[in-house]
Amino acid sequence: MQQLNKRMHNTLITIAGLAMLVFSAFAFAGEKPSFAPKVPHPTNGSTECVQPEDEMKKNHMNYILHQRDQTMHQGIRTKTYSLKECINCHVPENSEVRFGDDKHFCSSCHNFAAVSIDCFQCHMDRPMKGKGTQGKNPHTAQATPTADKTTISTDIADTSKSVQDTKEAGNE
Amino acid sequence: MSNSDVNISRRSFVEKSATAAAALTIAPGMFLHTVAEAKPADQAVSSAVRWGMLIDTAKCASGCTACVSACNTENGIASHDRPRTDQQWIRKVTLRDKQTKHEISLPMLCQHCEKPPCVDVCPTGASFKRDDGIVLVDRHICIGCRYCMMACPYKARSFAHETVDATVDHQPRGKGTVESCTMCVHRVDEGGTPACVEACSEAEHGAMIFGDIKNPDSEISKQLLKHGGKQIRADLGLNTGVRYRGI
Repeated sequence: MQQLNKRMHNTLITIAGLAMLVFSAFAFAGEKPSFAPKVPHPTNGSTECVQPEDEMKKNHMNYILHQRDQTMHQGIRTKTYSLKECINCHVPENSEVRFGDDKHFCSSCHNFAAVSIDCFQCHMDRPMKGKGTQGKNPHTAQATPTADKTTISTDIADTSKSVQDTKEAGNE
Repeated sequence: MSNSDVNISRRSFVEKSATAAAALTIAPGMFLHTVAEAKPADQAVSSAVRWGMLIDTAKCASGCTACVSACNTENGIASHDRPRTDQQWIRKVTLRDKQTKHEISLPMLCQHCEKPPCVDVCPTGASFKRDDGIVLVDRHICIGCRYCMMACPYKARSFAHETVDATVDHQPRGKGTVESCTMCVHRVDEGGTPACVEACSEAEHGAMIFGDIKNPDSEISKQLLKHGGKQIRADLGLNTGVRYRGI
């Protein structure tokens, strides 16, 4: 009786072992096992980033930081590693999804990894293509007359007081 | 990187530089360059350029705030209906002579000094001057101490007291940092002109001229040579990049 039990025990262990092998083979047959959320691909249909995906996963912050300082201090405005271009490419235009939402390109990973970033306290978290104003040179451009100008009281005799008109600017 | 990658011989460097200089020079003191040409995006700004402004107070209409509105729109500056603490990068100032009652109107903004006091006092290096003379705040490293605001003799800087709901992507601004006129650096780097200057020109006043004051062929340099341009508080010896006529 005892011998029969032992044989059954051995058989069960063998079956369990085999099952584990088979399952793991299935697991590795497809993609690499990963618990990390999938990062949304670019909206323009491209599947390649400016660097290989593994490199970007590990080192995107270094590329962005380097570009940040170069742009700020030296006026180098190449688009390859600019945060604005990340957003322009990875976040759909007119997207309602804001940073912080799990669906946002940056938040999808950062929320999972519990890494808090403060980029979007100032920077735009969605593309603004064409909505921002672009400069032109008045020395070459034709001056066009504008509509009515508002008049404000000029009874200010002191440089420390000033007239500011922000309502006219059309901002919310 | 091995040394051979970067190390060109001194002789060949001198030869190449001489060729380049010869190609650019027509005659002594005369250079071929285009004013409005944008620098390539991958090129750093250079101290061969100094951006400046010349403001003609005789042409600046009292009551017109086109420059202020344009600045606010361009940079996404919104009012919180608190005039004492609202951000303000450019403001209209009216000066009246008490004796003669003569009034002049002028826009007041960051004067982009050659020796900026705001840069001297900044404890983190956030306040800095670019090689092309534009004085900026690097808000990535600004701690919001506001020393620069106290140091500035022109009251040109403001503090962001409230969360900024960004409306433009070229001018990231945020709560807890100091900000001021950037001379629309995002436009200038692409060969453009500051929004205020453009607006003044569009309002048909043409009181503001923007350009490279180191380039003798630029419009601003010609005007400065012909009419001169005064600095506000010239006694401080800051050598401002923004000059005024008629004050």
